Amino acid sequence: MKGKLFALVVIASLLLAACGGAATTAAPSGPIKIGGGFALTGAESSLDVPAANGAKLALKEINAAGGVLGRQVELVIHDSQYKMDVTAQIAKQFVEQDQVVAVIGFTDTDSVLASGPTIQAAGLPFITAGATSPKLPTQVGDKMFLACFGDNVQAAVGAEYGFKNYGKTAYLLWDKGVEYTTLLSGYFKARFTELGGTLALEDSYETDATDFSAQIAKVKALPQQPDFYFISAMPYNVGPVVKQFRDAGLTGPIIGGDGYDTPDLVSVAGSAAENVFFTTHALMDATGGTEGIKKFIAAYKTEYGHDPENAFAALGYDTMYLIVDAIKRAGSTDSAAIKKAIEETKNYPGITGSITFSPEAHVPQKGVTVIAIKDGKFTLGAELVPEKVPAP
Amino acid sequence: MTDLRRAAGPLAAILGLVIVLALLQASGLAYWQGLFINLGIFLILVLSLNLSSGFTGVFSLGHIGFMALGAYGSAILTLPLREKQEYLPNLPAGLAGVHFDFHLGPFPLGFLLATLVAAVLVALVALLVGLVLMRLSGHFVAVATLGFLVIVRVILFNADHFTRGSRTFSNVTPYTDLWWVWAWALVVLYVVRRIKRSPFGRAMLAQREDRWAAQSIGIAVMPPRLLAFVVSAFFTAVAGSLYAHFITSFSPTVFYFDLTFRVITMLVVGGMGSVSGSVIGTVLVVGLAEALRRIEDATLLYGMSQIILAVIFILIIVFRREGLLGQREIALDRLFVKGGEPSS
Repeated sequence: MKGKLFALVVIASLLLAACGGAATTAAPSGPIKIGGGFALTGAESSLDVPAANGAKLALKEINAAGGVLGRQVELVIHDSQYKMDVTAQIAKQFVEQDQVVAVIGFTDTDSVLASGPTIQAAGLPFITAGATSPKLPTQVGDKMFLACFGDNVQAAVGAEYGFKNYGKTAYLLWDKGVEYTTLLSGYFKARFTELGGTLALEDSYETDATDFSAQIAKVKALPQQPDFYFISAMPYNVGPVVKQFRDAGLTGPIIGGDGYDTPDLVSVAGSAAENVFFTTHALMDATGGTEGIKKFIAAYKTEYGHDPENAFAALGYDTMYLIVDAIKRAGSTDSAAIKKAIEETKNYPGITGSITFSPEAHVPQKGVTVIAIKDGKFTLGAELVPEKVPAP
Repeated sequence: MTDLRRAAGPLAAILGLVIVLALLQASGLAYWQGLFINLGIFLILVLSLNLSSGFTGVFSLGHIGFMALGAYGSAILTLPLREKQEYLPNLPAGLAGVHFDFHLGPFPLGFLLATLVAAVLVALVALLVGLVLMRLSGHFVAVATLGFLVIVRVILFNADHFTRGSRTFSNVTPYTDLWWVWAWALVVLYVVRRIKRSPFGRAMLAQREDRWAAQSIGIAVMPPRLLAFVVSAFFTAVAGSLYAHFITSFSPTVFYFDLTFRVITMLVVGGMGSVSGSVIGTVLVVGLAEALRRIEDATLLYGMSQIILAVIFILIIVFRREGLLGQREIALDRLFVKGGEPSS
């Protein structure tokens, strides 16, 4: 009997203790709170950690310069662990407990879709740093913005770049386990065939694949090799897939999307990564980049002790500045006013490119950076704006 | 008189739960509601897994596959026509016209029907799978059910006319609320507990403890195992449906190893074979994970919560292998029977 009572008491006190943590109140004159949702642990962390670091760096600079509207800015970061139930929960936390005025973060579509509806329902503006699906604003709602270009834009650039520089036939391979790679390859195909190109072969693989010999055998069996290979892959696959293509004697140009923007590409593929080109948000190069990029890389290195891992660090940095810029122009922390100010953003000079929004377009039409790998280094291939973009 | 007193304990617990839920509902705090909804969904998952793995000793690593099928099945059924045309344009004609989004007054009857239809279909799948897999024991069945999980994932990826493939399945109507989850959780709790005390449950435990001894006294191995597997798959699919209409957007990657091991952790912490253990294990692990996550935010040590949970799990495996409760039960129905003075 005593045991049972004890158990009940323990459970009751646990519940009480849990409820006790709920009490938080927002001081209206304190710092302006912005929610930062990132998957700092889990499979997406190689993109989200740099993005969060970039945002924190921007925050530090903003606060050192006196904050905004005479107040300091606070970035409330929660780790979503790349678990969708936790992601849904932290959206509620931002809205209710942290009482943020806007939310930024995430670099993948799933996380944005799991958190977006709650943030939308609360009327808070939400800018994703790196989720590139151009469908997000229609799926989530009118408070949803992208700081990066949509996949349709970068795929169009990839298609046009390959068509002009290499030729009319291409081979298309994509990871069918992930939304991003599936969408990217679909947009590439749409734009490339529209240009008059033909696909010699279309193939796909599972996201956890490590051996691509089956796909490579089919390419080698082609009567004539295509002019280039478009491979839509996740960061953890780009190294192995590129290396195995080269080892099999397929030396033609390989083109990819911003999933290639990882140090792993060169460290895994080594010299096999020559003649590889990919579209991304900015070139993280301390010597060849723009003034803004150079300054950013230097500041990032002082803060974290190493160069930015990839362009997502720069996107996180831009996203933070973008939202603070909107708060400044709105002149208040009212969510509706901030949302309106974001929509009025014109040619904001981000380090990943110029950003313009309008009430109709919540995906910015940014320039796309094409990176060419030369001697094991990322070098600038081209800065392009697509001539025509496939519908989202 | 004893009957009334026996009923008093569980009734008091249910009443307490209803009061807590009503307070939460009235408070309008979405975060705490969300936490309790998660808790309820995990409770259903753990109880179901306990029924098939804890009671029969046939360890399944594939249950999240049933959850995935339940989630996709019910979500395809409840998706309103307009969304269906937009997001699933290639559905076969028979399914394209189905939309279980009707209400009976304020009650979303369509959601209940969709959940039941999806769960029955999943139970049929479980019956077919179980007829083969329940013949295996030990490590073999664990590997085989893991194979089932992988197969479900590959099918979900490739059946893109039904599931949108790897792309996120979104715009599911958020029907799931506190009442749905906890009503289902109570049903599962009741059924699992009744099965444990029924002849079927005794047979499950008997063949788990000693298959040869059980068979020698005429207890068949297959029927109780299969029953446990099918009922368990049914409720796991229900949890999938509740999850789908709570998260409202998901992709096949969600239903994989990560969820599998979280549910197994809760089961093992509580004690395999104990219904009360499942409740305590779920409350402890979900509560602890959430509390540690809050500490993480304060200390900026991201990832720490997962390490601590893993260490606790290892400690329990080493020092208390049977879990917190082992196979014992907290007998709520005796709460008001033995202790205290009888108040005629």
